[in-house]
Amino acid sequence: MKFKLPFNKKNETPVEIGAPRKDIGMLNPLKNDFVQSIKDATHNPADLIIKDIPPNHLTLIYINNLVDDVTLNDHIISNLQDKPNDTPEVIKATLSIPEINTSTRLEMAIKSLVNGSVLIHLEGYSQVIMANIPKRESRNLSTPENESQVLGAQVGFNESLSTNISLIRRYIVSPDLCNEKFTVGRRTNITVALLYINGIADDQMINTLRQRITDLNIDALLDSAVLAEMIDDNSMSVFPQMLLTERPDRFCDGLLNGKLGIVVDGSSMAIVCPQTFIEFFQSREDQNLRWQLATFARLLRFTAILLSVFLTPIYVGALTFHYEVIPQAFLVPLSESRALVPFPPVIEALLLEFIIELLREAGARLPTKIGQTIGIVGGIVIGTAAVQAGITSNILLIFVALSALASFTTPSYIMGNVIRLIRFPIIILAGYWGFYGIMLAFCFILIHLLRQSSLGAPYMSPFYPPRLKSMADTIIRLPLSLTSKRPEVTRPSDQEKFNPEPVKPDKS
Amino acid sequence: MKNFRFFLILLFLPSMLVGCVETNILDKLGLVTLVGYDVGTEEKMATTSAIREVNPEFQSNVEVITTENETSKGNRMKTNRKLSKKVVVGQMRVILFGEELAKDDIQHYIDAHLENESVSNSVYLAVVEGEMTELLEYEYKNIDDIGQHIYRLLEQNIKQENMISATLHETGHDLYTAGEDIFMPIIKKEEEVVELSGIALFKNSKMVSKIPPEDTFYVKLIAERFKTGTFETILQKEDIPDNLMKNTPNEIPIAFDTIHSKRELKLVNPNTPEFDLKVKIKSRITEIYPDVNLGDPKTVAILQKAISKNLSREISRVIAYSQSVDSDIFAFGEKFRSSVRGSNLTKEKWHELYKDMKVNVEVDFVILRSGVFE
Amino acid sequence: MINPIKISPKEMINAYLLFFVIHSMQIGVGIHGFQRIVYQDARHDAWISVLLAGLATHIVAFCMIKTLEVYGSNDLYGIQQDVYGKWIGNFLNAIYILYCFVAFFAVLRNYIEVIQAWIFPGISTWFLSITLLLIVIYAFTGGLRVMVGVSFFSVVFALWILPIIIFPIKYGTVESLFPMLEANISSLLKGAHSMTFTIIGFEILNVIYPYIKDKKNASKYTHLALLATTFVYVSLMLVSISYYSEGNLLKTIWATLTLFSFISFPFIERFEFVAVVFWMLIILPNLCLYLWAAYRGTTRLVKVSGTKFVWIFSLFIFIGTLLVQTRIQINTINNQLGKMAFYIVFVYPIFLYMMTILKKKLTSQKEQKDEEL
Repeated sequence: MKFKLPFNKKNETPVEIGAPRKDIGMLNPLKNDFVQSIKDATHNPADLIIKDIPPNHLTLIYINNLVDDVTLNDHIISNLQDKPNDTPEVIKATLSIPEINTSTRLEMAIKSLVNGSVLIHLEGYSQVIMANIPKRESRNLSTPENESQVLGAQVGFNESLSTNISLIRRYIVSPDLCNEKFTVGRRTNITVALLYINGIADDQMINTLRQRITDLNIDALLDSAVLAEMIDDNSMSVFPQMLLTERPDRFCDGLLNGKLGIVVDGSSMAIVCPQTFIEFFQSREDQNLRWQLATFARLLRFTAILLSVFLTPIYVGALTFHYEVIPQAFLVPLSESRALVPFPPVIEALLLEFIIELLREAGARLPTKIGQTIGIVGGIVIGTAAVQAGITSNILLIFVALSALASFTTPSYIMGNVIRLIRFPIIILAGYWGFYGIMLAFCFILIHLLRQSSLGAPYMSPFYPPRLKSMADTIIRLPLSLTSKRPEVTRPSDQEKFNPEPVKPDKS
Repeated sequence: MKNFRFFLILLFLPSMLVGCVETNILDKLGLVTLVGYDVGTEEKMATTSAIREVNPEFQSNVEVITTENETSKGNRMKTNRKLSKKVVVGQMRVILFGEELAKDDIQHYIDAHLENESVSNSVYLAVVEGEMTELLEYEYKNIDDIGQHIYRLLEQNIKQENMISATLHETGHDLYTAGEDIFMPIIKKEEEVVELSGIALFKNSKMVSKIPPEDTFYVKLIAERFKTGTFETILQKEDIPDNLMKNTPNEIPIAFDTIHSKRELKLVNPNTPEFDLKVKIKSRITEIYPDVNLGDPKTVAILQKAISKNLSREISRVIAYSQSVDSDIFAFGEKFRSSVRGSNLTKEKWHELYKDMKVNVEVDFVILRSGVFE
Repeated sequence: MINPIKISPKEMINAYLLFFVIHSMQIGVGIHGFQRIVYQDARHDAWISVLLAGLATHIVAFCMIKTLEVYGSNDLYGIQQDVYGKWIGNFLNAIYILYCFVAFFAVLRNYIEVIQAWIFPGISTWFLSITLLLIVIYAFTGGLRVMVGVSFFSVVFALWILPIIIFPIKYGTVESLFPMLEANISSLLKGAHSMTFTIIGFEILNVIYPYIKDKKNASKYTHLALLATTFVYVSLMLVSISYYSEGNLLKTIWATLTLFSFISFPFIERFEFVAVVFWMLIILPNLCLYLWAAYRGTTRLVKVSGTKFVWIFSLFIFIGTLLVQTRIQINTINNQLGKMAFYIVFVYPIFLYMMTILKKKLTSQKEQKDEEL
């Protein structure tokens, strides 16, 4: 059964992005009319500056907060002040600005104006010069906070598209790195860049993704996460089918494996697709460690995820229905710790999970310093008090804390949240039908995952359809010599990553 | 259509909550850890059960309750009426039978427990010598939970191979094998302790006799393999060769452990029937009195022979005794069935043959080492 | 040759997935208690009966593949329409659809019975059947690839069960297996015949064959899957014979599950409780693919969309599970299905093979004559 979001693709007639809502027409050569038409089109904002440079009958129009003051003063105003009355072509040539254009269309002029251009109008000419000197406000580069790792590069994307692309270009110094630009959002006109490596990435996938982005009919786009949700294969699924990362190295690793990347201006997270389910649980750091350590770390992570999803439900199921399966050694501690608890196990577990989620949410919302305190206070005080008050049993407290901890090992923040979320329905199922309910949920999740695809590629790859060679780098990571091929899920045009032959001469 | 289906599923979800089932919340249960059956004074069956309960004072206590009724389920209902918690048997570890009941017939009880899906097949069975209620209801000084205690007692001794193992599965297995009879450990209250006092021998499902706990070792040697264990025997005068030492004492007590034993059973004559029983034992001497020089290969050889002779005599004695009470706990019959084509063995048929069965015992005893001090 | 099926390469599956499909189809609810049924006839030689039944599956599968190869890309429904003509062919197709329906029903009802007997004595049948049917519908609407995926994971996730049956070996006696070949041939064959209900499932080959990408490898993986199934059944039978005694096995209804009862780990005891619910994953492919096979046949008879079909089918199954309540009724259905399956799965394919060869000869002769004329 497929659910479709109302704004999603195909059925509606596509409206071209950036198309004029009404044809305003050509620019007026007369200064006053020109200024008036600009004012009308931009609804006369307070920061619209109209500046006359009298000797030459020049008019500069720009939006104060969008242009770079220094460049404006040094390169435009000072250059134009004592120049004779010239044609637009001459002025265009005299200005030492890299991005400079002329146009006679009002619509173009407005678009350029809101992008951070200075419009230079010459009395009597219908052409207008557009000198693009935008003010690029951006944060300094910092460490990626949501995806930190011990070994490896410590730089993360920031909110500027050009900085992000320059970071990527620094990792992949190659003319094959393709960069396509799209403008998305009827009202916001955000720039979206689609990146891939020509010669590795699959053409069909590129076309699909390009199609999905251009087909978007959307008002505003403020973050790449929104874009990812909209261009996912199945937006109704709780499981993300595209990776959101703020690590340039992870992004480039994806590109080098034949994946496609999307960078959205104003968003510090980039999208990588197609992404398989298993890849959400892999970290870039695994590549930087020796394969034995990486394998251990990955196995640890997968165990943690299984525990996180199933530990509390199993507790609930066993204590509510299947007392037979509890080993005798646990029997007494379990029943004694629950002796005071007035609720059935399912309510007890839900309550505790709820408290843990509250702590997490409160910690995330508050400033970092207070957030930490909340974590400690909540963990220790509430936990101990809850046990002493007899609301929960201390064994369950351990289980719940353990599964919360385990869910945080997921390298992808979104996937970690999914893991925590799907636990709730399973706990409820376990509370009603014990192990049968857990198994029901397991089967449902399995089928659900099998039904998903990421950009048309199977989501459960390389397990299903089984590809033995690609499995070398999934739950475990085998030595590099065995993982010389790109994963088949991206259908790469060039399969070999490197020559698996050893480069070291034999020791003799 | 699509929306319709979506709503159909939404409608299903709450209706599913209606389909909930009877819960067994752990702390609301009275867990029967041990149940003892005996012949009732007024009704057919007397049941004594040790039930572990949890009360809100963070302590668990054990109640021992005796009821009488016609069936075991009836007894459970009667017990339920006396407790604040629901009585369940899923954590039962031990089933005891009173001696009187065991001598009568226990087939029904074993069947009933095999049938019940919540009773584990690894429950231990045992026969109680003396009064059941006295054993269970007595307030021992050092025993908190009598059910747990008897379970640990049996488990520990069976794991250490000091006692034969009679779980519900094994007993059910033997009960339904034509050429085999069942057996169980016997437990007994001895002042302030509970002890294992022997093995109960059954013919079909009726207890016919018992053998002392010391003979467990021989029963185990005949019936199965050993992997670990300790045992002592006393070499009688006739076993001891004259040349072992100068002043031969009347008896030499000898103890050995870490026993690896292997038995080979062969049917040599299906008509009598006659079996060849070869038992190979490898072990370590831990104690011997008076001191014998175990560094001398000759002495060791002599000693080995002496012990072999002693053991084979003891084994023959145990077999002869079980033949005299007509209880084949060693599964000779099963060997007979598997060696003779078309035997169509039944219990009755085998018991007739069993009386006249001949077993040629041969023991091969090897001393691997003595301790670390010669 | 009429009605060949045209399938886009996207819907096709690789031949090696056939291994998982056939293996997971064969192993289902029958494995819970087949020991007793076979043991009734063949006694302690029951494992030989199982081996014989396994051998029979190989022979039948060989005939099936040969028949299918004649037609290239067609399934049983198309072949029957071609061989017998429209009316008789469609009648036989209807019977095959009915067979799939009954098989689906038997698997579902037996599993529900096991759950009710072992875990929740009080749970209502309608609830179990609705939940299971919803899961099956969800998988079915995902298409064949999802269903094959389910059977793949059901085999992979169940792999850990196999080493676990080593535990009961500790309590087994080798003597129970001897003397070998005490049973006579007829009782061995009778025992093999009783395996029908347990070992069927590989007939899905008839329907799934056109969906295989590299058809020349199909027979290799089919036989491998049959071999694996036979191995599982024989080893389980051997373990059961040595673990249980004669009278014991005859009285144990679900011998495989009772085997698990003895298994305990430090963190979990009474393993059969886990095994029973875990079996849901093992029966899922059976349910999905029987449903799918019935759907493929129905599209040949009437025009119906997949979603509509699956809801109607499920409704009938649901009503069926409500009607069949007692153990005796379930056993009757199992026996009837076993009988039906013996003719449909084991006897009929050989007959059909001969028919297709005959038909092929006739048509080629006719063509030759036409050419001569």
